[in-house]
Amino acid sequence: MKKLLTVLIICLLSACASQNKQSAEVDDRAMAGGGSGSQDGAGAGGFGLSPLRDPNNILSQRSVYYDYDSYTIKSEYRELVLAHARYLRDNGDAKVLLQGNTDDRGSREYNLALGQKRANSVKNAMLLSGARDQQIEAVSLGEEKPRATGHGESAWAENRRTDILYQGEY
Amino acid sequence: MRVFTRYCYLALSLLLWSAQVHATLNIEIFGGGSKKIPVAIVPFSQEERLPQSITAIVSADLERTGLFKMVGTFGQTPHEPGDIVYADWQSRGASAIVIGSTHLLPDGRVDVRFRLMDVAKTSQITGFTGVVPSDQLRVAAHRIADIIYEALTGDMGVFSTRIAFVAKTGNKFALQIADSDGYNAHSIIEYSEPIISPAWSPDGSKIAYVSFENKKPVIYVQTLATRERKAVANFKGSNSAPAWSPNGDKLAVVLTLHGGSQIFLINADGSGLQRLAQSPGIDTEPNFSPDGRSIIFTSDRGGSPQIYRMAISGGNAGVAERLTFEGSYNVSPRFSPDGKSFTYIHRNGDRFNIALQGLANRQVQLLTDSKFDESPSFAPNGKMILYATEISGRGILSVVSSDGQTKQRLSSQTGDIREPSWGPLLKSQRNNHFIN
Amino acid sequence: MVLRASSFLVVALLLVSKPSIAGLFGDEKAREQIDLLQKQTQVMEARIAGMEELLKSNALIELYSQVEGFKIELGKLTGQIEVLTEENKLLRKQQKDFYLDLDNRLNQVESGGSRDSGNTSLGESDSSTALPSEIEMTAQTIDGSEREAYQTGYNLFREGDYLAAISHFEQFLKQYASSSLAPGAAYWIGNAHYALRNFQEAISAQQRVIDQYPKSAKAPDALLNIASSQLEIPDVSAAKKTLENLIQKYPNSEAAGKAKKRLTSLK
Repeated sequence: MKKLLTVLIICLLSACASQNKQSAEVDDRAMAGGGSGSQDGAGAGGFGLSPLRDPNNILSQRSVYYDYDSYTIKSEYRELVLAHARYLRDNGDAKVLLQGNTDDRGSREYNLALGQKRANSVKNAMLLSGARDQQIEAVSLGEEKPRATGHGESAWAENRRTDILYQGEY
Repeated sequence: MRVFTRYCYLALSLLLWSAQVHATLNIEIFGGGSKKIPVAIVPFSQEERLPQSITAIVSADLERTGLFKMVGTFGQTPHEPGDIVYADWQSRGASAIVIGSTHLLPDGRVDVRFRLMDVAKTSQITGFTGVVPSDQLRVAAHRIADIIYEALTGDMGVFSTRIAFVAKTGNKFALQIADSDGYNAHSIIEYSEPIISPAWSPDGSKIAYVSFENKKPVIYVQTLATRERKAVANFKGSNSAPAWSPNGDKLAVVLTLHGGSQIFLINADGSGLQRLAQSPGIDTEPNFSPDGRSIIFTSDRGGSPQIYRMAISGGNAGVAERLTFEGSYNVSPRFSPDGKSFTYIHRNGDRFNIALQGLANRQVQLLTDSKFDESPSFAPNGKMILYATEISGRGILSVVSSDGQTKQRLSSQTGDIREPSWGPLLKSQRNNHFIN
Repeated sequence: MVLRASSFLVVALLLVSKPSIAGLFGDEKAREQIDLLQKQTQVMEARIAGMEELLKSNALIELYSQVEGFKIELGKLTGQIEVLTEENKLLRKQQKDFYLDLDNRLNQVESGGSRDSGNTSLGESDSSTALPSEIEMTAQTIDGSEREAYQTGYNLFREGDYLAAISHFEQFLKQYASSSLAPGAAYWIGNAHYALRNFQEAISAQQRVIDQYPKSAKAPDALLNIASSQLEIPDVSAAKKTLENLIQKYPNSEAAGKAKKRLTSLK
């Protein structure tokens, strides 16, 4: 009887130990990847400033920007996308709307399709990082809802983006 | 009163004079004009009493085609064939002269008479008389322009057709319908969310368009006479780029059911969803060939947006053939009414311009040289292309002749104008209650 | 997460139900079972940790962006293939036009006074205008299908489908070996090889015309075509010899006249 209990305790401890070892490795790797692996855990916490609003938290950043006629997530936005994906993974009830946007040059219909491609690529990256399909809706606004008006590279660059909006924000 | 009349004449002749200067300017800019038909349009008698000058509209219509050169009247105002001193008109280089009269009737309607005279033969080519309500004078003027155009060029006149476009005023978006010269505009629907891609049904009774009123693009078809409208494509994801089949039975639409934008076919009532093409990238902006057997569309399957053609039935259905090879951005294709060529937007350096390309010889011709041209749409006779462009940040509509020789703004609308679509040529518009 | 929780639950349940298990199996059995469970749990833990690591690390994202990168590359390659295919099509057409133009120009130079108006319009070579009269001259001995077959081959040649023209004329020669149009068929085979710039094949094909139909009106033309091929190789001295041979063997032929002109221009 006693033996049995000891075995069980050992078993539990060793499980914990192995888990710790694993997560240590994970952290190492996340660091090596240049990253922010530690922030995701904070998402679950309920008090104080919401991590989504906290300006010091990466989750407060909500826009992914693109090059002209491109839909690939540039490496500088990968951490941002990952952080939101982890938040969604750890908060099963959270939902996001991804809105793809383009600058206003060229065809409105092509831009609508390009905006969709941008939103889809963020969605796919999130799905691969632990978020679930039901949590994410990807839509396009094309060039119809510009954040910056007028012509010129600064306005165009501002409008080539995907916005991440959480439920209640849209 | 006499003084007033004289001022009116002065104003009218000034108008015509300035119109002539404009035509000369076009010739100087484009070096064309050798084929232009010289026509003199004499203001109709008593026209100054009307709320609307008929001959001013006729002149503007004809001039916009780039096929006519307006000859000044130099104060001569014949209204009847007997008044015409043909030698004078011949010396001014006019080969045809338009004369006519208007009489305001006691009931408020207007009796309009017009004749098109051959200067060399000193005889009448065509003409008509008709009684029009005073609010239909524009319609009458466009009809006269059609008759003159048809008599002198042998082609169909399209001045009596209508156009659709989207006007943005403040945060309001209005889908509007206007005469072919942009006047008489009225909204058929207004929203605080964007409207894009209006498309006329082949019989001119309906318009399909994309509205963002549900926070995402959904395709509606609206019947113009009843204002009744129906969401014909409201699938998961985005629904856009409607294009009517030539017989009006079906619509090609772009859906994102499986992630990317792909072309589908639905019945005009929204039923019978059927996939048309499959590609790993974006397929959008379908447009039917006049025979209904194929579509042209924009696709980025080759790494940049280019125009492709694909049969929609038969052995080669679904096999896309690339049509554009110049440059890295070619979008918004539209077949010419004869199916022998297509117009599209070509990025030319940092400019976006209207291009015209033959399907047989693949020769590309750039028709415009402004900065942000969009949404080309052929006139039903194929001789002109309506498009959206920008002047100091504001969207306006412009018309270019298919040979690129003449461009003219449709300057009547207010607000930010975009997404023009030229309506079909209808039998009813060709008869509108006139007795020839 | 869920998996790990449930494995703990199993262990906890075991703890609760331990007395009954002990009663049923005794200590030994129970220990075995527990060892087994322990091992299973460890395996599970490792798997879950592995999955979590995969998700936490950027591996999948890396893979995804690589796949996206490949898609973009594939798109570019597709585009390049489309462009190259189109350019190839245009070049083939140009080559055909050049050949017809060259042929036309040469014919004009060679026919001298009759056509030296300087008109170098594309396409119409004098060989094509010669064809109908050639058929007419021998019309009595040619039946309809034979003439049709010949015409088909000739049309293939005119349309620039030289490979098809060659195989068609070869077939013609098999079927109508004794036809009065046979020398013509053999000649156009050589000419098609010339158009394809296969000059050795052109020479041997034209040599067949000369060997098999020495008395045919096509023989001097074949010699002239051999000279043209030799000039293209280039083997100028052989070309000169061929031209001299042509003038000597067929002094009254039209081709001999052309040969004389070409010889003077070669000197």
